[in-house]
Amino acid sequence: MPMPEYLNTAQPGMSDETFRLLRDFIYEHSGIFFSDNKKSQLENRLSLRLKVNNLPDFDKYYYLLKYDPQASRELRALFDSVTTNETSFFRSPPQIQAFQEKALPEILGKRAAQGEKVLRIWSAGCSTGDEPYTLGMVVWEVLGEKMPEWDVKIFASDISEKALKSARAAVYNDYTLRSVPPDIKKKYFIQEGPQFRVCDDIRMLVELQYLNFNDEKRVKLMRGFDIIFCRNVLIYFDDAAKKRFVSQLYDNLNPGGYLFIGHSESLHNISRAFKLVHFPGALGYKKE
Amino acid sequence: MDRLILQTVKHLEDLPTLPSVAVEVMSLSRSPDVSIKTISECIHKDPPLAAKVLKLANSAFYRRGAHEIETLHRAILLMGLNEVVNITTSVSVLSSLGSRKSQEQNIRKKFWQHCIATGLIARRIDTRLHMSLQGREFVGGLLHDIGKIILDEYFHDQFMQAHALSIERQCSMFEAEQEILGTTHMEIGHFLAQKWGLPPYIADIILNHHHPRDARFKDITSVVSIANLLAKASELSCGGDSMSFVLKDQQGWQILKKMGHPMDSIDLERFSFEIGDIGEEVKEYITTVSDQEDRERAYA
Ligand SMILES: C[S@@+](CC[C@H](N)C(=O)[O-])C[C@H]1O[C@@H](n2cnc3c(N)ncnc32)[C@H](O)[C@@H]1O
Ligand SMILES: [Fe+2]
Ligand SMILES: [Fe+2]
Repeated sequence: MPMPEYLNTAQPGMSDETFRLLRDFIYEHSGIFFSDNKKSQLENRLSLRLKVNNLPDFDKYYYLLKYDPQASRELRALFDSVTTNETSFFRSPPQIQAFQEKALPEILGKRAAQGEKVLRIWSAGCSTGDEPYTLGMVVWEVLGEKMPEWDVKIFASDISEKALKSARAAVYNDYTLRSVPPDIKKKYFIQEGPQFRVCDDIRMLVELQYLNFNDEKRVKLMRGFDIIFCRNVLIYFDDAAKKRFVSQLYDNLNPGGYLFIGHSESLHNISRAFKLVHFPGALGYKKE
Repeated sequence: MDRLILQTVKHLEDLPTLPSVAVEVMSLSRSPDVSIKTISECIHKDPPLAAKVLKLANSAFYRRGAHEIETLHRAILLMGLNEVVNITTSVSVLSSLGSRKSQEQNIRKKFWQHCIATGLIARRIDTRLHMSLQGREFVGGLLHDIGKIILDEYFHDQFMQAHALSIERQCSMFEAEQEILGTTHMEIGHFLAQKWGLPPYIADIILNHHHPRDARFKDITSVVSIANLLAKASELSCGGDSMSFVLKDQQGWQILKKMGHPMDSIDLERFSFEIGDIGEEVKEYITTVSDQEDRERAYA
């Protein structure tokens, strides 16, 4: 039996020139940068987009993105394809511990002393929600009975609609929960068959939204944060985009606020604005 | 109770001692025209010590060439006199203190891990800054906290109280010691270093690693003071104190910067991240320096 057309996986490869056009287009719209050695990765990630749009080659796909009136819808799908959404609850535990035992108590103490019990956290590049929900659970653990006295909001944003959709559903499998301490798991998750749903108390703390870091105007509006987590996001940008975005994050923080980036990332050549703080097993950046 | 404990320690008669050969090697090495032969013969007077020195010289920590170093003479030729004296000092101090027991063996085990980590990190800083401290930074890091062993052994209850206090107050161990014991592990360690005739730079590091500004050997003491903080930050801490800090604001960092070392060129995030794996190296060092039986007793 002949194979139906759409199952035929033989696709014309991506020429170097098209690679550069697509790469630059993606970079311009998101800051995500595919270096020359990532051509086959990009090819893999976009091949499904060709099929879905019923296009014969990557050139045509580029024209669709660039000139088609429907391009803005395809753009979102493109972002879904080119982002890496790998994440998990309580990822890099020493960082979460530094947040729980050092940064958070420091900020809460200061706010309480000012008589202003407001806490604003931003999980920038939240992927499927594991990170903002983790932060919510930690805040709940730290504040305990005092929770009702506080106005706590955790903003969580991402460029991937697909990831945000999972975040809204807030249902996870065991594997993403592998680093969750047993008592936390029992307290904040509801088991549904083989899956785990985040309880409503925590979900209500988290406000999910679509936000492209390249959208400077909207990013500027994200003001007044005490703590920002932007972990394992900057690694996909080039230095210029990192610099732009990190200096923006600096402005988004309150004085005395903290930024956490991925545990293997560095701002050494990116920003001198922050003070690098050594916590046990983790680093944080403080805005003074 | 001011000073009382320091006075008591000074009059203790059963304080640990250093192998006499080690004392001799250290003093021999201070004379400028000592020969390789004199030093190697001296170490050979203590065969177990000589064997350990060779074993360490051949370990991953020191080994340079592809060939096994079979004699001390050859070790000195290949590694330099300084490095062999360093090794001899480390091995002897470890053999007189490494087997001392504590009522809190777990804390003691962490103590040694912390000391070795500090030495290894000091060595990485030396390499990173091209300071050519020639292995002295490792010995200094290894021995910087030895006063704690004496405090733990002879004033156990108060030492544990200080430990608890430093956790409760989130303050440094030496501040807690000062409050509860009226002295610090720096003072006690310094006394021991002098009593044993350890080289002046080691005594200086022991006394001043928490405030390198007061040190005579400012560069090496600063390196060890930074290494000490980084060892704690990488969770290789021995006291209760696990505070957060801004490294660039620390005395040691500023001293090195003032001396003209390219501190700002260090990618501290990267450097700290790489230190994250120091635990493995620490284990390896312990395996190398300790006999099976030592290891079970002291570090296991
Ligand atoms: C590897 S995940 C990290 C998730 C989480 N922060 C963590 O550390 O576990 C990176 C996320 O950054 C998002 N991202 C990448 N570029 C972005 C951009 N320009 N604007 C917003 N989000 C972006 C991706 O969609 C992805 O979900
Ligand atoms: Fe110390
Ligand atoms: Fe120390």
